Order: sequence, then structure tokens, then C-alpha cells
Amino acid sequence: MATVNMLFRGKFALITKLIVLSGISAILVLLIESALAKKEYTIALFLAASLAALCYTYLSARTVPMKFFLPGLLLLFAFVVAPIVYTVVMSNYNYKTGNIISKQEAITQIKGLGVEPDANGTTFDIVVGKTSTGEYAILASDSPNHVYFVSTATKKTDLLPSQVTLNADGVATAAPNFTVVPEAQLAGNEDYAKINFAYADKYFVSVQGLNVGAVFRQSLKYNPASDTVVNLIDGKIYKDNGRGNYANVNDSADILQPGWRATNWFANYGKLFSDPLVRGPLFRVFIWTVAFAFLTVLSSFAFGLLLALTLNKPMRGRRFYRGVLVLPYAIPSVMSILIWGGMFDTEFGAINHLLGTHIAWFQNASFARTAVILVNLWLAFPYFYLISSGALQAIPSELLEAAAIDGANPRQIFKKITLPLLMQILTPLLIASFAFNFNNFNLIFLLTGGGPKDLLGGQIAGATDILISYTYQIAFGSNTQDLGLASSISVIIFFIIAGISLYGLRKSKVLETFG
Amino acid sequence: MNRRILGLLGLLTSAALVTSLAVVPGAQAAGGTIVVWADETRGPNLQKVMDAKSDWVPGYTIKIVTYSSFDALKAAFDKATGTTGPDVVVAANDWVPTAAKSGKLAPVTLTGSQKAQFNPTQFFDLSYQGKLYGVPVDINNVAMIYNTALVKTAPKKFGDMVDFYKANKSADGLKAGLCIAGGGMSWGAHSVFSALGADAYYMAGGRPNYHKFFNSATFASNVKTYLLGPDGKSNGFFPATDTGCKDNFLAGKVPFAVIGNWEWKDYVAKGFDMNLMPVPSVNAGQNGAMFGSVSGALLTSFADTHGVATGAKSLLTNFFASTAGQVAYQKFEGRPPAAKGAQADASVSAGQKGFGTAASLSGIPQIGAFLNSNAGGASYWDSAPAYWTAVLVNGKNPVVEAKKLAAIWRKNMLVGKSDL
Repeated sequence: MATVNMLFRGKFALITKLIVLSGISAILVLLIESALAKKEYTIALFLAASLAALCYTYLSARTVPMKFFLPGLLLLFAFVVAPIVYTVVMSNYNYKTGNIISKQEAITQIKGLGVEPDANGTTFDIVVGKTSTGEYAILASDSPNHVYFVSTATKKTDLLPSQVTLNADGVATAAPNFTVVPEAQLAGNEDYAKINFAYADKYFVSVQGLNVGAVFRQSLKYNPASDTVVNLIDGKIYKDNGRGNYANVNDSADILQPGWRATNWFANYGKLFSDPLVRGPLFRVFIWTVAFAFLTVLSSFAFGLLLALTLNKPMRGRRFYRGVLVLPYAIPSVMSILIWGGMFDTEFGAINHLLGTHIAWFQNASFARTAVILVNLWLAFPYFYLISSGALQAIPSELLEAAAIDGANPRQIFKKITLPLLMQILTPLLIASFAFNFNNFNLIFLLTGGGPKDLLGGQIAGATDILISYTYQIAFGSNTQDLGLASSISVIIFFIIAGISLYGLRKSKVLETFG
Repeated sequence: MNRRILGLLGLLTSAALVTSLAVVPGAQAAGGTIVVWADETRGPNLQKVMDAKSDWVPGYTIKIVTYSSFDALKAAFDKATGTTGPDVVVAANDWVPTAAKSGKLAPVTLTGSQKAQFNPTQFFDLSYQGKLYGVPVDINNVAMIYNTALVKTAPKKFGDMVDFYKANKSADGLKAGLCIAGGGMSWGAHSVFSALGADAYYMAGGRPNYHKFFNSATFASNVKTYLLGPDGKSNGFFPATDTGCKDNFLAGKVPFAVIGNWEWKDYVAKGFDMNLMPVPSVNAGQNGAMFGSVSGALLTSFADTHGVATGAKSLLTNFFASTAGQVAYQKFEGRPPAAKGAQADASVSAGQKGFGTAASLSGIPQIGAFLNSNAGGASYWDSAPAYWTAVLVNGKNPVVEAKKLAAIWRKNMLVGKSDL
């Protein structure tokens, strides 16, 4: 008792607490610094708030219950609440290929891209240096034509070949009033490369490498006051279209790249119901998702229960059978799915070989769906076998004996007593399993990839695509990624799953214990 | 809060600050460090070159970051930001349109002499809306190899291969006549599409020809003649998937295979001669066109944020696009180099040269603006394998499916034109 007291009270406990808290605080400070360096201010703020909350909670005697809750609450917020909030926020953004970066970054990019070379694509060999006034300058050489000049941001001075020192390739390396800056020195600060060195008329020389300069002129100019971009060559004006792009005021289809992620309040949700290309497959995918989850739970539960009932009676080798039946559960599902994928291969698969058939399992919608259900049955039945076995053993044997004495036959006992009692225990687990399979991405992605689909017929969702794999396909499955649209589908899936889970919790009356 | 708490807080804050300062590395990587991202094969090989010679760009340090796979590299680059991204990424050319569109790449300007190092069509692969975003590093292409133990003379026409398969199927226990071992049923199989009359697009004078598209009736007729039996089902000559192709070819169960230039060493190791050739067309003297694409070293827009854009541009020209750089790199990587000077170098192997020759005999540039577009309902990459599945596996009408395919490719090209 004295040892226990020493561990949780007194100087030793206080010092231990301080050391642990210091270590955690140090890590949090480190993460805050890292987040600030990466300009992730929200994350930095959350980490700072966590640090303050941890210190206050564990150094104060006023918040004893929080000492137990706080770590869980912080992790819950960081890894559950924050991603949900982020997804909801992103579902209201035009966030897709071409609209990924921020508006400020997009403006910088547009300005950088808004230059065009002269008609000849003129380039020069250059040496970077400084003038006698300390201004950055380039010494440019067009060796074949024996053209040499020194140029600063404001002035170009032509030089005769006799005025410069040439290397073996005919490139000027020294000139009057020009001091070469060593390349090693240039590597530390590339400010010089941002200068447009004077050339002729509207053209300037831009640094395109340590020794190369190219002639350009500005073609796009951003006007911050009116938030517009003007094409200096043809006079077109591009205005923020409110959807993350600068668009030509006279032709909305003419937009500048890149765009930025911009809010499009509920437009992604609207697209789910208004765009026939998305709406059609979405409804079909939803139906299949429900069917897949339902059939998986039903078949796995039925098979697991059957095995549990069979092995619930004493028999020789029961332990062995029980051990073997749990094996599929012990093998990583990724491995099992890939092995099953190989077994279903049309040309070389073991299943066609055994059946003596040549079925294209993954090229035909019905066969592919059958394969998906079969593989999931293999993966899921051990779980249902285990929980059914446990539940069966929890049913008082007196009930079954009394029913038998009253003349009930085994079928009646199962139907009227065993099954109702089992369902009372297992219903929440069945609902949880349904919810899990509603989002069973691994199986679909690894086994069929969502296919087959009639791409030539314009299908964008495959026959075995479930909502989550369809979402993945929209977000990452092609060269054009639509993360905003995918987020909106994710939010809908979240509400469906949340509804199912709440129903399950209510059914199991778990929450009542808190009352 | 009493004094004791305040004291403890002070102590704790000091301890935390001291510890974090001891652990935190210098705020940012030192200026002048160019970060290059590459996949699991290119990364280590680039590192070997850099270990041997590190001063490709005077004053700059070059740091190679290797990803565990090409997909991991792609996933990381998709998530890259100004603070986490690379300055140069060694990537597939089809990354260019989407990455440039999203503002992740920065344009590069080459001098006339630097451009002259490459075949002009190679720049198509790395351009978006008229701007070049990187330099060609190595050539990715396929070529057809035939098993000389089974086939004594090189086929002159597509029909020669089909006839050989039909005549020897039973005797030699052949599992297929021609299969795709490298590049998959879209990229790798383009030469078969082309040999049968369906090119993804046609070139004229080094530019895409926007007025010529494949004739779906002719293509479907050739598919019927050479790939289908009298019952309208696959005759077994050309499987709809690439599964098992390489193993079956190496086992002598498939006489002809389309292989990728990145895996030729495997075939040499199994004792095969590099008797490489294009896939012969249905007409004698013509060949199916294969994609002769390039991998590129791409300049990212992050390089400017990191203050090393000029150094990164110099790395592209001094190392990645130079003869000396490509020779040094391909010594380890073993792919056909893209630069003409490097291709002619004595150190380039027979396999590398064989693929280069096949590409020059019959190659078209891989133009991502057309191939990645899904304006027609599906991209080339998705629609091409879908055709083989529809016709060879699901037994759909080759004429109807060919019409759909032609419509998709036509629209993709015409819409993708604006991205070139």
C-alpha cells in the first residue's frame, strides 16, 4: 500500500508527472514550430490549445475528471471530428484538378506563366554579375553572331567583341564595369533571377539557368485593384468568375490556368442530383451498396451461425475444427483478397480450372458480384461464427431443457427460443457489420477495382462499385480528380452510416446505461 | 492559480522549450539545395550518379528523395505543397497536363542547341498549352520480340503471325499467338490497335493531324478476320489481358510478345536474343505504331518558392538533358536515353539500341492532352482495354464497339487540342 501511495502521491509522483508532461509538451512545441513553419496555422492553434489544456489539467487539482477524459477528447477531435469537419467544408468547394492551389498562389502562377518568348525564341549565354554601382547585371553573349551586351533592370549597354574577354566557346566572361558574381555565391540567393533585364522595347531577358537567358515580353498583367488579369497582347480582360478561375469577360469558357479552390456553396451536392452523368450511376451504386452489405451480412451470419450450432454440440475434434474455422480471420484480408483475385482469374485461375469452365469472373457484372459476395463470405463468416458461438453459450440451458420437456422439437426450440434470444444479443453487431460493409473499400478495390464497367458505353461506375469505391474513383481514379464532389458523396455516406450506427446503438440500449 | 502552480508552469515551459530547441532541426534546409523526387528504381540510380559526381550545378547541393514505388511518388506529388514539394520530379510524361493545369509545374526554356539534342516530337509529351515543363530523360517504348525457337523467320504481316499460331497451336501447346507483356492493354497494345488500323491519332509533318481519324469499319473488319473465330468469339490468338503473358512467352507457350524496354534484361537473362521489331501491320511493309514516349525531369513551381528555381533549371540542362548526364545515368538505369548524343554513345547496350531502332521505325509521340482527356466519355487509357474486353471476352459486336471507340478517341483529340 505504501508503495502504491508513493507511486501516485508525493514527490516521486510529482517529479514523474513533470518529466512526462515536459516530454509531451516538448513534442507539442516541436509540432507547433513545424506547423507554423509550414503555415498550417489551424493545426498550430489546435496544438497550442492542446498544450495549454494539458498543462492546466494536469497541474491543477480542480479538474480531476478531465485528467481521464482529456487525452481521449483531444485524439477524438484530431482524428474524428476534424476530418469530418474538413470533409464537410471541402464538399462546398470547387476543389479539383486545375483548382487545387490558393488564389494567391494561382495569381503568382498566372503572372509567371504570363510571358511569351520573342518570335525567334532568342536565348543568350549569360554570366551574372554586378555593375560598379552594385546593381545586378548580366553579361550576355550571342556567340555565333558576335553580339554582346551588359544589361541591368533598367539599361542595356551593347559591347563590341573587343571590349569583352571571351572563353574558348566565344562566350563573354568579363567586361568593363562588370564584376562577375561567383556561381557558388549565386546559389545562396536567387533574387537576381527575379529581375527582368532590359533588352529592347517591351522585351526583356529572363534568367533561365545559371548560364542561360531568354528573351520574353509580358503577356498577362494582374491588376490588384480590380482583381482582373489583362492580356497585354490582345486586350482581353479576365475576371474572377466566382468559381475559382479568371474567365474572359466576353467568353466564359475562356479561362486562365491554373485556377484556385473556391467556395461553390452546395453546388457539389446539387451536381449529385442534377448531373445525369453522376446521378445515374450514383443511384445504381447506392442500390448495389445496400444489396452488397445486406447479402454479405445475411450470408456470413447464416453460415457462421450454422457452424456455431454444429460445433455447439460435443463431438470429436471440435477444438481442431474451431481453430481451423478461425483461420480465415487470422490471415490479413489484403492477402486473402489478392489470392482470391488470382483464383478467379479467367485464364489461369484455380476456380475455372476446378470447375472446368472458362468464366470471365471479373468481366461479367453478375459473375463479378457473385465473386465479391463469395469472397466476403469467406472473410466474414469466422467473425459471425465466433460471436454466434459466444452468444449460444450465453443462452441458459435451462430454457432449452424446459422447452424440450414441454414437448418442443429441435426446430421449434431453435425458432422460438434460440434464434430470438440470439437476435436480441447479436442485432447491434449485425447492424455494425452492415455499416462496416457499406464502406468495405478494400474488398472492392483489391478484388474487382469496382469493375466491370462498359466504358465504351459511357459508364463511369462499375458493376461492383459501392459508394465508397465510386467516391474514390471520382476523387483519385482518373487523371481529373474532383475532390469537392467526392467530399460531398463522403458526407452523404457519413450521414447514412451515422444513421445506421445510431439505430444500432439505440437498439442495443448501450446509451441507456449512461442515464 | 497559486504560486506553486505558476512555479511549476514556469519550470515546465522552460523544460519544454529547452528540449524542443535541442530537437528541432535548423528551420529550413540550407539554401542552394535542389530536391529531386524519383521512384524506387530511378531514385537509387540517380543517387549513384550523384555520389560519383555531385557538381552538376556549381554551388548547389542535390538531394535525391526516393519513393517506394511509382504510385507512391505520384500520390506524394499529388499532395505536394510549396513547403513539402520537390524542385524537380522525375515523372511520367502524362503527369504534365494535369500537374501544369493545377499549377504544380513551372515552364522551362531551352536554347536552340539544347533543343537540337532531342527529337522535336519528344517535347509534345512534356508540354501543356504551348509551354515546356521539363526535359526528356529516357525513352519508354515497347517492341515485339519473337521466340526464335518457335518462329524461324520474322513475320512480314500481321496475318503471318495468326497463321503461325493456328498451324502450331496444338503441336506446340500454344496458349496464345501474340500477347502484351509490357505496358498493359492500352499503352503497350497501341501497336496492335495500329497494326489492325486503329491509331489513337495520326501525325503529319511532326504535328497532330486533326483531320484524320481511324476508320472503324476497316478496323472492325481486321479484328473479325484476325482475332475472332467464325463463331464471333476470340480465336485465342490475342488475349484481352496481359496476365501471364511474360511467363508464358518465357516458357515458350506464346511465340510473339510485346515487351517494354525497362524489362529487356529479364529476357536476355532467360537466353532470348533481342530480335526486336515493330508489330507488323495487316499490310506488308507497314508496321503498327507504338508510343515512343519519354520520361521527363519536370521543373516544379515549388522550386521558385524554395529559392532554387535557377539552380533547378540548370540541373535540368546540365545533367538531365545533357549527353554526359544521360550516359552516366543510363549506365545504371539501362533504358534508352532520350538525347541523341547519349543514344550514340558506345556505352549504350544492344537492348537499349534495339528499342531505339524499333521506335524510330514505327513510333508516335505520346500526347497526354489527347490520351488523358475523357471528353469523349473515357480516356484512351480506359477505353482501349475496354474494347478488347468487350469484343474478345464479352463477345460484343466488334463493329458497334469500334464505332464507339472511334467516337471517343476523336472527341478526346479534338477537345484535347486546346491543351497542346
